[in-house]
Amino acid sequence: MFLRERIRELLAKYPYLPSVGPVSIWVILFVIAPLGVILYFSFLTTGDFGVILHIFTLENYLAMARSTVVEVFLRTLLFSTAISMLCLLLGYPLAYFIVMYGGRWKILLVFLVVLPEWTSYLIRLYALRSIVRSGGLINSVLLSLGLISSPLPLLYNPFTVVVGLVYGYLPLMVLPLYASLEGLDPSLLEASGDLGATPFRRFFTVTLPLTKGGVLAGILLTFIPAIGDWLVPLLMGGPGTLMVGNLVFLHFIDVGNIPAGSAIGMALTVIILLMLYFCIRAGGKEATERII
Amino acid sequence: MKSLTGKTLLAIATLTYLFMWVPAIMVIVFSFSNDKLGVRWEGFTLRWYSEIFSNVAVRDAFGMSLTVAVITVVVSTAVGTLAAYGLYKYKFRGREALRMSLLLPIIMPAVITGGALLVFFTRVLNVPLGYPSILIAHISFGTPLAIFIILGRMARIDWSLEEASADLGADRLTTWRKITIPVLLPAIIASAILIFPWSFGDFTITFFVAGAGDTTLPIYVFSALRFGETAAINAISTIFVALPVAFLLLMGFYKRKK
Repeated sequence: MFLRERIRELLAKYPYLPSVGPVSIWVILFVIAPLGVILYFSFLTTGDFGVILHIFTLENYLAMARSTVVEVFLRTLLFSTAISMLCLLLGYPLAYFIVMYGGRWKILLVFLVVLPEWTSYLIRLYALRSIVRSGGLINSVLLSLGLISSPLPLLYNPFTVVVGLVYGYLPLMVLPLYASLEGLDPSLLEASGDLGATPFRRFFTVTLPLTKGGVLAGILLTFIPAIGDWLVPLLMGGPGTLMVGNLVFLHFIDVGNIPAGSAIGMALTVIILLMLYFCIRAGGKEATERII
Repeated sequence: MKSLTGKTLLAIATLTYLFMWVPAIMVIVFSFSNDKLGVRWEGFTLRWYSEIFSNVAVRDAFGMSLTVAVITVVVSTAVGTLAAYGLYKYKFRGREALRMSLLLPIIMPAVITGGALLVFFTRVLNVPLGYPSILIAHISFGTPLAIFIILGRMARIDWSLEEASADLGADRLTTWRKITIPVLLPAIIASAILIFPWSFGDFTITFFVAGAGDTTLPIYVFSALRFGETAAINAISTIFVALPVAFLLLMGFYKRKK
């Protein structure tokens, strides 16, 4: 009886508890706490056999600046930027094509972009790799055409890693662009045409600025997963294409140096949060809404 | 489409679609080919499918992936619906903080999420690796996804029905059952359609927290790949490609029925 009264009292005072209570507990326990733990571990010392010693140190962060880790970070940033730009260069014309010329095929064309994103990432990369590898489709076609005399070593180089990442994240670029272009007011385009703007000029002075939110959202949505990727370099890259995600994995699993892996992970997190912050500031409300 | 711009756009779009789809189509084609390595067309066969369905390891992995995906969808959409409702309807202290924290699983790289959970499970909480750890990891990703999809829908709903129901004397539970849930159902289904294939196909996070025992289907594929590509892997991959298509057809069917 008393308990029932207490619950009723609590509910009157905090009516939101039954709805957001469970998720808050879950998030604190399984999202915040694990990240907090690796943040804490990133300041600890590793002993023999991967034992974590509770001795405070900045060594894990300092070591990053001294070693080849910097090179991996720079490469990762370069790759992610290149991938975002390549996705934009392919994705904008594609989204534009769907919106302007899609007609009654529009929905099907959009689904053909979305569907790959719903297929297991590992499986998609496997599919791409089976085409690129030495006995794969590309080499077979080139060989049978007589353009090459022996299979080209297409795997394990930076170019293939970039292609793999574009393949992986292109749908994420097309979707916000499509939504943005679809929401464009056609009368604005007509007006600029009536006023004598050439199609070329119209695109750069009207269409592109009006879809800025979609562009920024697309850049963010491709840059962020690309910067944390590790599967493409693992499956299609070589020693010269290691990315930060691979370093994190190596430290956590293969080397067993959890504090060092945690520090690298934290550095990556900071880069992502900064990127998010600047993109949202540049794109304002629209970009934020397209992402969330 | 006669203009030069139109033709150029058509060319770029065609090439981009080919780039997105040729790899998957080749895998599907070679899964029906009589070539053991799965890279050449040597006549039609269903051999690889009967081979994977009679393989106990594949069946177990398939079962585990399916179980994990179903539980993840049910828990994520249930908790997510409740949470989205609370986030939308009530103003309370920490609401923005909760929203921001819910973004974390979505924007954090899978290697960090996976690594953090592994460390947390093995060094702090002692959660057994296997079903419990995989389910926790998947629900932690699925729930925020459901929340943001349902929140997006909530902003576009006419809420007067709910008030009317309350004015007519229905208690909160009845209103929920008769009004709120039916109104939100399309968004709940949309989130389920997104979460299921993700959970079924996730590799990275699962790989971190799976431990050495039972495996899901993507992890099975990854281990099998170490011994080289085979036609059987093409057949398993075809299941992964076909799954979202099947879901989409199902959704189309559901919409038509309405």
